[in-house]
Amino acid sequence: MNIYKPELMVIKNIVDETNDTRTFKLQFKDEETAKSFSFKAGQFGEYSLFGEGESTFCIASSPTRSGYIECSFKKVGKVTSALTKLDVGDVIGFRGPYGNYFPVEEMKGKNVLFIAGGIGLAPVRCVIWNVLDLRKDFKDVTIVYGARSVDDLVFKNELDEWQRMPDVQTVVTVDPGGQSNDWKGEVGFVPAIVEKVAPRSENTIVIVCGPPIMIKFTIPVLTKLGFAEENIITTLENRMKCGLGKCGRCNVGNVYVCKDGPVFTYQQLKSLPAEF
Amino acid sequence: MDEMVISHDNLKALAEELLKANCSLVVPDKEGVHWKKISHSDELNINSKAKPTKTSYKEFVFSKTEPIFYFKNNHDGVELVDQNPPEEKVIFFGAKPCDANSINIMSKVFNWDYKDDFFNKRATNSIVIGLMCNYVDEFCFCTSVNLSPTSMSGSDLFLIPIDVNNFALRIITPKGEELIKPYMSLLNRGNPEMSAQITEGITAPQNIFEQEAVRDWIGKNFEHKLFEQPGETCLGCGQCAFVCPVCHCFDIVDEECSYSCGRRMKNWDACQFGLFTLHSSGHNPRNDQAKRYRQRVAHKFKYYVDKFDEVLCTGCGRCSRGCPVGIDIGQIAKEIHLLAAN
Repeated sequence: MNIYKPELMVIKNIVDETNDTRTFKLQFKDEETAKSFSFKAGQFGEYSLFGEGESTFCIASSPTRSGYIECSFKKVGKVTSALTKLDVGDVIGFRGPYGNYFPVEEMKGKNVLFIAGGIGLAPVRCVIWNVLDLRKDFKDVTIVYGARSVDDLVFKNELDEWQRMPDVQTVVTVDPGGQSNDWKGEVGFVPAIVEKVAPRSENTIVIVCGPPIMIKFTIPVLTKLGFAEENIITTLENRMKCGLGKCGRCNVGNVYVCKDGPVFTYQQLKSLPAEF
Repeated sequence: MDEMVISHDNLKALAEELLKANCSLVVPDKEGVHWKKISHSDELNINSKAKPTKTSYKEFVFSKTEPIFYFKNNHDGVELVDQNPPEEKVIFFGAKPCDANSINIMSKVFNWDYKDDFFNKRATNSIVIGLMCNYVDEFCFCTSVNLSPTSMSGSDLFLIPIDVNNFALRIITPKGEELIKPYMSLLNRGNPEMSAQITEGITAPQNIFEQEAVRDWIGKNFEHKLFEQPGETCLGCGQCAFVCPVCHCFDIVDEECSYSCGRRMKNWDACQFGLFTLHSSGHNPRNDQAKRYRQRVAHKFKYYVDKFDEVLCTGCGRCSRGCPVGIDIGQIAKEIHLLAAN
């Protein structure tokens, strides 16, 4: 078997999240592959445009919703720029799912706090829908999401949907200066808003994804609120090529992010050499 | 242990027979630069006193560059066409222990979970005729990484020069036995005592560090200033990775052959390149050469050992002999050993 050969997927829908971020809804071209495919929240894939190359994105849709996957990407490099030019009906390559996943089973019966910044909402959104689709299995659900400005907020429709849900507390914030005239949400950096919302740390698992700077300042807040290091879960986003634990670039110490990650607890991250 | 004797002339005759049987024979060239496929037994170069060639034979099991599949864009969409690695029997003829063990070592990373058939097919189809090593220079350190000039690990057959014209031939694996069986008439029964005397009398490189001590030290001293100096001198040229018999990092890139078709390639890469770990956001976890050099040392003497119980180094010294700025990984490991001891 050729482990480097992707499956073909057809773009079924495109959503422009911001002026440089898009979400693709994808379906396998081959029906057998579609039937046998399964994944868990937090896993990722290698997406490719033939002639341009491969890029690594998480699967942004929830495993509770079968028949398709979604991925969100920001136009920054060669592959993502080329992907931006595609239309509904075009075909791309996909290898995956790869890596470990969020401990959704172990989270059952507990409160769940989601904290995301910018496009970091993509991997978190996958677990959010996973949890919301099995709502009764979990206790309190809180979502704190922030972006640089109103224009940078992704999954806007879903943010509205979560805010309307009676059994979910959703707080959306933008960095100071990023608010528009009609902005009704919070204004402030994510760590400050987390402190303000002050969720209970007791029997709570927190999933936090976003820019390194946001994570850096959010963790002390969480620690202050009493969260144990093993209950703080995040993902690492190292550069990858193979996704299979072979090509040698995503390692942090003796941990391969593509195989042993991308999901790590803060406790695990602390035991790694500071090189990520 | 089966021990036979084969004369130099009969080794040539063996090579001739293997060529006739459609085997590819890969030998070190006489200029000492690289390993090459030969078409005539005159090109055989069995010299236990030779310096290791500048490059290893890694490229025959792990290609410098190879297509992993082809793609065609046509009006029905995209079509992917598989690329299978070539099915050919490759015999590495006269591999010193520091080369012979390379396939075993790399096999771990290419098989620990997902199986890389590009590597595996070639590894399965390869046969290693090892050769005792009679060469030592200041860069050799095989004895510090669990090998020695007489180590038969990785060899299917093993040659020991016993006099000017003759080699003792030891059959190490069933694969080796199968290869030599049809040609038993070229061999005579040998005397294991005689070759044992020779292997015992060999001058081995000095053991310059204890692998376990180096591994432990790296685990505890990630931020140590030891890595700063090589980081400052290193040019980031990547030659060390390319000449190494076990460095296996690679890149995956697309090449367009024409407007409508192209291929995806798996190419050698090196952890000493600045772009190796650069994120598209601009963040780079190994953003200076000292961090990249630390990765090279730690990957070889700690991470690979932690993960696969195998040192990612055969002590051949190629990376140090070839380094344009004189960085010597054996000496760095020795320095670590000394730091660990104090």
